[in-house]
Order: sequence, then structure tokens, then C-alpha cells
Amino acid sequence: MAITSIKNLKEFSTNNDRFEGAHTLCPGCAHSMIVRELMNCTDDNLVVSSNTGCLEVSTAVYPFTSWDTSWIHIGFENAATSVSAAQVMHKVRKKKGTLKDNDAPVKFVAFGGDGSTYDIGFQWLSGAFERQHDFTYICLDNENYANTGGQRSSATPIGATTSTSVAGTHSYGKKEKKKDIVSIMAAHGAPYVAQLSPNKWKMMAKGFQKALEAEGPCFINTVSPCCTEWKFEPKDTIAITDLAVDSLMFPMYEIIDGHELNILYRPKNILKVEDYLGAQGRYKHLFKPEYKHIIEKIQSDIDEDWARLQRREEARV
Amino acid sequence: MQDLKLKAAEKRGAHQLGGDNLVGWDEVTQGIVLTSFDGDATGVSHKKAEERNYSDFNSYTATVASWRVMKPVFNIDVCIDCQNCWVWCPDSSILSRDKQMLGIDYDHCKGCEVCVEVCPTNPKSLLMFSEYEDLGNALASWPEKKKKEKK
Amino acid sequence: MAVEFEVNEREVWDGNYAASQALRQADVDVVVAYPITPSTPIVENYGAYVGNGYIDGEFIMVESEHAAMSGCIGASAAGGRVSTATSSQGFALMVEVLYQASGMRLPIVLNVVNRALAAPLNVRGDHADMYLGRDSGWLQMSAFNAQEAYDLALCAFKIAENHSVRLPMMVHQDGFITSHTAQNVYPLSNEAAKKFVGVMNPVDDMLDFSRPVTYGAQTEEDWHFEHKAKQHKAIMDSASVIDSVFAEFKELTGREYNRVETYDMEDAEVCVIGLGSTVESARVAAKEMRKEGVKAGVVAMRVFRPFPYEEVREALKGCKSIAVTDRSSPGGAMGAFYNEVAAAMMTSQSRPLVTNYIYGLGGRDLSIENIKTIFREQQANADAGYITTDIQQFTNLRGPKLGFFKTERN
Repeated sequence: MAITSIKNLKEFSTNNDRFEGAHTLCPGCAHSMIVRELMNCTDDNLVVSSNTGCLEVSTAVYPFTSWDTSWIHIGFENAATSVSAAQVMHKVRKKKGTLKDNDAPVKFVAFGGDGSTYDIGFQWLSGAFERQHDFTYICLDNENYANTGGQRSSATPIGATTSTSVAGTHSYGKKEKKKDIVSIMAAHGAPYVAQLSPNKWKMMAKGFQKALEAEGPCFINTVSPCCTEWKFEPKDTIAITDLAVDSLMFPMYEIIDGHELNILYRPKNILKVEDYLGAQGRYKHLFKPEYKHIIEKIQSDIDEDWARLQRREEARV
Repeated sequence: MQDLKLKAAEKRGAHQLGGDNLVGWDEVTQGIVLTSFDGDATGVSHKKAEERNYSDFNSYTATVASWRVMKPVFNIDVCIDCQNCWVWCPDSSILSRDKQMLGIDYDHCKGCEVCVEVCPTNPKSLLMFSEYEDLGNALASWPEKKKKEKK
Repeated sequence: MAVEFEVNEREVWDGNYAASQALRQADVDVVVAYPITPSTPIVENYGAYVGNGYIDGEFIMVESEHAAMSGCIGASAAGGRVSTATSSQGFALMVEVLYQASGMRLPIVLNVVNRALAAPLNVRGDHADMYLGRDSGWLQMSAFNAQEAYDLALCAFKIAENHSVRLPMMVHQDGFITSHTAQNVYPLSNEAAKKFVGVMNPVDDMLDFSRPVTYGAQTEEDWHFEHKAKQHKAIMDSASVIDSVFAEFKELTGREYNRVETYDMEDAEVCVIGLGSTVESARVAAKEMRKEGVKAGVVAMRVFRPFPYEEVREALKGCKSIAVTDRSSPGGAMGAFYNEVAAAMMTSQSRPLVTNYIYGLGGRDLSIENIKTIFREQQANADAGYITTDIQQFTNLRGPKLGFFKTERN
């Protein structure tokens, strides 16, 4: 496959965008940063599918499309299925010689938000991974149903206030821990699974390329800060991802073939989670004295998760 | 800002999103399908925007300039072409060619200010100004290099 | 190259096997499926043809019917020939994506082996699933026996893929009664079938990278209505293509199909109109009624969507009293089929009496005697000049007689 040079940012910038402007994502949305980067990682033809969500409703509003590649959206839950079936059709037509260009390399990519990935589309995603289709699934994880006005998903972390896990006098917001989607997807035995962040553009691009190059289903969870629902200034999107990875709220790591875990980024100075939480309106209430224990709980969860990740990296099992 | 003399220039900003030419049922596309380009688009990833034949359906031909209250202004004299703004622009609005930052696509920029935030130069090569600020005035008012504060 | 699968001039096939042979001969590229009784053998057989090299396609068994149709959409948008099969609850799970397939104008062929919808759970045939699909924007045809399940599946590809149609199509057959009853079937030779169905010419092919396409854009109030109207027009206009494909098929095989089939209708005064395997029983009943001096006839719906209003009106124009049979629980209304036939006849010159019989739910048998009773009631209506019974009646139901709604008379 024709991967593009990501040696440095200047090299990378010589790629020609295949995801166009004048989409209707919010100003400062990380979704489009991530999507652009994926599409700039390869020169190959792409067939892209999207689950219903912010990305989908903002990039194909009739009579406009922001996609310079073939793209399909069916429903909230089935992007993994539609693109993997298209991949099978490609295989059949290539064999029969009925493609317009039988030799052109093609990659198949699906995008979904956390709602469609962790929740409503999980069965479809799991099925497509079990069937070992050759495609890459990118989750744009903004930890809520942003497209429908910010409801909690199973990716929403403890303590976040959302429109369906409202923080108030009797509640600190969401009560349950975020689902560990990366481990779940790795458990499918996928050749490449990772959690990446757009602020570390090169690690993310490298991860995307590994996923596109690997044969079989690959899954990448990307942190996609949502200024609208996380409640921060649009200009701070990248700064928020800096805090997310440096506080280890979003550790960056990959899992090869379901077991070989590599930590991709070790912060020199690990930040306290308060720094990350304090930068966002959705956690504002946690800084009241009565919810101090929740911040402590979040911090201890992070510490435990980080220790576990390191043990898994060492153990190689 | 440099003029890229975009081939698709006559189409640029031709549409306001939502202010479309509303055609009748007999003229809408079959199956809601939209084509991204006119003519043969083989190898489009190797073509720069100005070399492509965008269809009217491509949002590249549309503008969201009206979303903006503040606009980023680019000062080429300070820029080091690091391409931070290019990689993190969520609206594909940094015009970068041959490793050089050339300017901002004001048809697609929504004024989010991410480019300003990620600009590492001192002073910054991108700063926010009122949408109505004249380019000359903006550049004339560019701040001096900040001295490092003594610790 | 696929291994040649030999077919004899005459085979003994059940409806499922017949449909699966049509998929093989149509050289379907991809089948995405999930098993459900009674349609399972159709896709199982396709999988076996792939497994034994009888077809150069791929069989993807997914994790649900919703995924099956989702995969069919992705594969069809990727420019190849696509088909699957389902029934009942599986059909219900597919419904969300059925609308997407038709809205995107993808020519998928879905073999529906009709079965009742739960609750209560039931694996036998009624038309609840067929009716569930009636507003989904698909074309719908009904096969009354195994031969027809085979013939119509072949025709379906040719109709759906026609560039002036480009709509998905369902071919219905009755669960067990048709799907699991082995009957004589006269298949086409592999070569003749392949030639008849023809080569798939994709439209808006996602794998043609000289022309990238976006499928599934959002439309709101300023565009949605126009798109749905265009789709409805295409469904209505497909009738002429269906007619021409049927004509071509007749020329090839001698077997004639019409969007509305008529039996003993030349001079009929009373008639039963229905669809599915019941039609064959009704034909026998009509013949027996004629021996009793009743001018009985049968009208059958070959094509349920687009609904052939004019042909129904034409077929029924000489009738005085018509029994419209609905094999689906009407859920608080007249049967859906009744409503459509009544609407067609309301605008006719003759305005005959139109009555509604709910029958056969969950696979309950409808005997020749039951149908003869229906004919006798129609004759009574014709003689009286008004509907002498309840307008809607339940037939062959245990317990006190169940019927609703009387005709309004001075």
C-alpha cells in the first residue's frame, strides 16, 4: 500500500486533503482533525463508512458531501457491517475482474462515535471483527452522544455531567466507570488495536498506518474532545488532549494480535487529574467539597489502570 | 495572503450551506447519491485542490464564512512553516503547499482559533482579529517578540 | 471459474431449494445472511454452492438480520449482485435497513419466506412479515409454489437491476407450505438462466474510484419530500418493466406471469382475491363452485408493490361481490389488502360489494370447504345486492363467530 511520509510534519503537510472544508462540525471539533489525519495517511483509494453521529450528519448534508472518497452511511449501528461487506464485494469483483480498475489498491475504513461504537453498534462491530474482515474501525470517542445533545454513553467517565446523568444537589453526574473498549476489541484477537490522541499527531498517524497496513480488522480508539459538551473554548481542543494524555486519563497504547501491549507515550511529568478535569465545564461540580472523594476516586482509578497497563506491557500476555 | 489562483476559484464560496438551489423531485439525484467530482477523478489523492475538478456537490465549493465572528490573520514574516496549524486545523483551511504555509482559506475557516493556539512562534504567526479588520491594519498592529520573563 | 452444477429438465425441489438455485444461476456475488426458520435453507444452500465451488461468490453469515441487510446494502453499493433471505422476526429486525436499501435505490433481491410475527411465537406461514414491508419502498412479488419461487427470483434480479427501476425487490413464498413442500420444478439451463438475468451493470459504484460517490446523505424538510416522491414515482413506474420482464420470461419458458393473475374470471360474478399458496386452494374451490352453478373466479396478486390498481379494477370489473382475503392480523382495522382492493374498486364504474376475510394466521389451514363457504357468502351478497355478513370476518377460527362492521343500509 502507498502510505504517505510522516517523517515530520512538513513532509506530512504535502498530502492533499481528501476530507473537505465547509462541513458543519462545530468550530474546534477534534473529529475532523482525526478524520483528516487518517485520510492523509495513505494515497490508496478509500471506501469509508460512518455510523450516525456528529461526523455523519455534518459531512453529508444533501446536496453537499465533504468526502473525496466513496462514503456510505446507513444507520447508527452498522458502519462496520456495511464497509466490511463492501470489502468482501471488492474481493469477489476483483476475482471476477468486474472492477473499473482491478489493480488499484483500496482500503476500507469505518468511523463511529463512542455512542455507536460502545453502545448501539457494538454487536455489529464485534461481529465484523469476529469475521476477520480486512478493515480499520476508528472510534471518535468524545464520551457522550454529542449529536443528540450530550447524553451519557457507556464511554462517559465517572463524574461527568451529561443531559442524562445530570449532576446536581443529589448527584455527582455519571456513576459508572467508562467501558474498556480497547481491551474488549483486543480480545477479539484483532491484529492491531490502539488508543491514540490527535495532539500526538505522529503517533496517531503511525497507528493509523499500522492499522491500514495490517491484514484483518483493526480498531483505534481516539480521544476526540467535544468543546460543546465538555464545555471548553474551541481553541483549546489540542490543549485538552495534552491534559488528557499527560494526566493519563487517556493513556496511549497499542495491542498487537490481542496480547502484545506497548505503551506508546509515557508523560515526563504526569499531571494530576484535577488539571484535566478543571479545564472542562462538565466536571466543574466535582470541585465542590462534597464531591472531593469523586476526584480522588478518578485519580485512584487512573493510577490503578496505569499500573495495570504497565504490568500488561511487561507480562506480554 | 498569497493568491493560489485556484482552478476551482469560480466555484469557491459559490454556495452558502443551506441556501441551496432547491430543485424539484424530478431533478434530485437518484438514491440521494452525491458525486464528489465532475469527470474522471482517478488518482485524486495526488492532485492538489486547485488541480481537481470538484462537483457542485462537494462542500469544497461551499462556504461557512458566515459562522465566523473573529478571523485568524496570518503573518508570513514570522512563520517558520512548522505546519502545526495545518495538521490541527479542523476545517481543512490552512493553505499549505510544498511545505510552506501560504494562508488561510476564509471560505472554510470557522474561526475556532486552534491554529493560533498551536502556533509556536514568538510572536505568533497567526492571531485573531475582528472579521472586519483590514489585513494591512492587522499586520501593522502585530505585536513585538515577547521577551522571556526572568525567573 | 465455477464448477458446473448440473440441473435436469425436471427437478423435484421445494420452494427454498428452488430459490437458492435461482441465486446460484443468477451468479449472485455476495449473500449476507442470518438464519431464520423457514427461510434458512435458501442461504445455507448458497453457502454450500460457494463451499463446493459451484459459484464464484462469497457468503457472509453475520450476527443478525439487521446486519445481514446492512451488509447487503454495503455490498450492493459496492457494485455487485446481492441477495439474501429471511422470515418473520428476522424480517422485523431488518425493517430499519429495508428503508435504507430502497431509499438508496440498491437492487437487492430479498427472498421472504412468509411467517407469522410474534407474540405468540409461531414458525408457520402467514403474511404479517410481507405486510410489514409494504411501505418500505421495495417491490414485492408473490410466488404461490416452488416453480414460481424459482422463476420469480430470476425475474427479480432483472427487474430490480434495470436502470430505470433500481429498486430492491422481495420475492415472497409461504413458509412451509411452499418453502418445504417438494414439487416438480422445471428449471432453466444454467446458460439460459444466466443469459436471461444478464450482467449486473452497477450504478453509482463505490468501487469505481474515478467517480467517488457519497451514499446516505442527510436530507431535512427542504429535500426529503422530493427524494421520497422520486422514489415513489420509480416504484409506480416499475410496473412496465415488470411486464416486459414477464413477457421475456414467457418467451423463454412458456410460463406466463401477470401482475394480477386471473382464474375463471371471464364470466365470474363472485370472486376470491388473495395471494400466496391460498390461491391454489381457491382455484380448486372455484372449480367446485362452478359445478354448483356459482359463477366463481379467483384473482391473485402476483405483484403486491407497486399495487396494480388498474389491473385489479380490470380483473374485478364484472364481479358483484368480492372476498378479499388477508392472512395477517389486522390490528384494529380492515385487512390492509382489503383496504387497497376496496380503494381500487371505489373508483370503478361497477362499485361491487367488497368483503374482508381474515384467515390462516400462524399457519392455520384454509380448506377448500372454507373457501367454498366464502364463495357461497359472496353469492348471497350478490343476490341480495348488499353485504349480508359482517364486512370483516374471521375464517376457520375456534370459538364464537368473530366479525366486525356492517354495511350501511337505508
